[in-house]
Amino acid sequence: MTVRWLATALACAVLAAVPLAARPTLTQYGIEALLLASLAQAWNILGGYAGYPSFGNSAFYGLGTYGTAVAMARFHQQFGVGLACGAALGMACACAVGVPILRLRGPYFAIVTLGLSAMLAAIVRNVAIAGRNIGLILPIFRSDTLFYELALGLLAAATAAVALTARSRFGAGLVAIRENEEAAAVMGVATTRFKVMALALAAVITALAGGIHAYWITFVDPASAFDSSLNVKMVIMAVFGGPGTVVGPVVGALLLSGVSEWLASAISSMASLFYGLVIVLAVLFMPKGLWDAGRGLRQRGLRYFGENLRRYRL
Amino acid sequence: MLLFAQIVVNGLLVGGLYGLMALGMGLVWGVLNIVNLMHGALIMLGGYAVYYLYTSAGLDPFAALPLAMLGLFGLGYALQWFVLGQIARSPLLNTLLVTFGLEVVATYLAQLAFSADLRTINPPYAGQHLALGGLVVPLVPAAAFGAALVLAASLWLALGRTRTGRAIRASAQNLGAARLYGVNPRRIFALTFGTGAALAGAAGGLYGLVAQISPYMGNSLTPKSFVIAILGGLDRPLGVLAGGLALGVAEALTGAYLASTYVDAISFGLLVLLLVARTSRLLRPA
Repeated sequence: MTVRWLATALACAVLAAVPLAARPTLTQYGIEALLLASLAQAWNILGGYAGYPSFGNSAFYGLGTYGTAVAMARFHQQFGVGLACGAALGMACACAVGVPILRLRGPYFAIVTLGLSAMLAAIVRNVAIAGRNIGLILPIFRSDTLFYELALGLLAAATAAVALTARSRFGAGLVAIRENEEAAAVMGVATTRFKVMALALAAVITALAGGIHAYWITFVDPASAFDSSLNVKMVIMAVFGGPGTVVGPVVGALLLSGVSEWLASAISSMASLFYGLVIVLAVLFMPKGLWDAGRGLRQRGLRYFGENLRRYRL
Repeated sequence: MLLFAQIVVNGLLVGGLYGLMALGMGLVWGVLNIVNLMHGALIMLGGYAVYYLYTSAGLDPFAALPLAMLGLFGLGYALQWFVLGQIARSPLLNTLLVTFGLEVVATYLAQLAFSADLRTINPPYAGQHLALGGLVVPLVPAAAFGAALVLAASLWLALGRTRTGRAIRASAQNLGAARLYGVNPRRIFALTFGTGAALAGAAGGLYGLVAQISPYMGNSLTPKSFVIAILGGLDRPLGVLAGGLALGVAEALTGAYLASTYVDAISFGLLVLLLVARTSRLLRPA
């Protein structure tokens, strides 16, 4: 136990020291990677623990982006106030969508999330205070180091939230929902409330990531705020790393960010093909993610992949 | 009043295609228990197949339709046999994730191969129309609507009257019993997914005749197909078709009387409302 705490503290310290030693480009890349890891960790709460995949969390990211941008650019508020506005918007949207849709079991939530982000983008494009199609410019604040530490702090907070969830009644309830929702309901888990709470928590983390990114870039527009490729990335990072585990999504996100960065520089725009293939192969060969695969490979060798592939065959 | 009737006609013509899209999705869902998130991508591929058969090979779009359907059938059969069949008994989460990944791959490859430009299939007779007592019925959309009806009716007949159709319905109702009667589930599942893909391909080809096709067109069509399939009822092709027509009309009215920029947003909101209303009635204990 102490070893694990020490290792976590050491990893945080090393990551926190990166901007002091590294080149600016590495710090900038680090901000992107840490924010993506936070998104994957947020997705993990409902998608990984409760087994309800969302394919539209970029809606919350966009709301966080716009909440922050509107508060800062239109109402001249502090960054902290902006972040709070963004998080509140994300949470409100999560409840508005979650309360009616998460009452239903099965694939309905996944389908509704598919269209959510595009719908919000369409609305933002027609709202004057959000700058319509053109977007908004935020006050300029140049400090990669600060944004790096903020992103790291968000990831640490998200991971701590997931770790606490995993040990709580709340987390146990989510896992029960994933394994057998009817049985969970019979055992007294308030399934709808748990699912909505998980979505709201995910939405707040996702919106905060959007807000940090907005102030870092100092410019928001509908296309980049509601970027649907974010959905692909966060889902794949979480699933590849290990859905329903505490560290899996973080490891998956940092690893895949690295590989896709390398791919993007080697063969431009291969990244999205890569992500699509990774998710298909990951679900077929290692549905429990990298974390479980590491253990399985040690115990069973390469047979681990074959066993996974055969498990659900007809 | 005439304007209103004209708008309704336009909506109905597109709605027939929505119905056809939803039929393919509902068939796959009902039989294989797969919510196919790449359904929209299959529609998109069908659209491009007809587009290129017309522009490069010079085939009439309606003559190209069976070829496109055959190609999509083969693709769907192979996908089910080699990929989705491997996770046939897995939780819904896994099939959602895999079809989502396949959708990303298909969209990316389409963007690479066909570029992101918007395209329409424009046969030489595209401008012609029929006049029905003041109403203008454009020829090509009307023919596309007719083709959609014919395909829906053939699916209905094939499921009801043929041996394979009975095997498909039996697999949907009770797979164990169907196997005892000699149904080979792997073959039936691949056939079913192939048929769903072929219907999606046909819908995509016809959609390219009345609207624009792009690599991303599937994004909004997957949720639409899904909700229409639920509204109509998974095992009632005629109900699904009616659901498609209703959505087409609702969209046309929104575009004409409210704001055309909000068509997708309002159609999406409407779908969510209907979904909640319909499913909560279904799930409520009797």
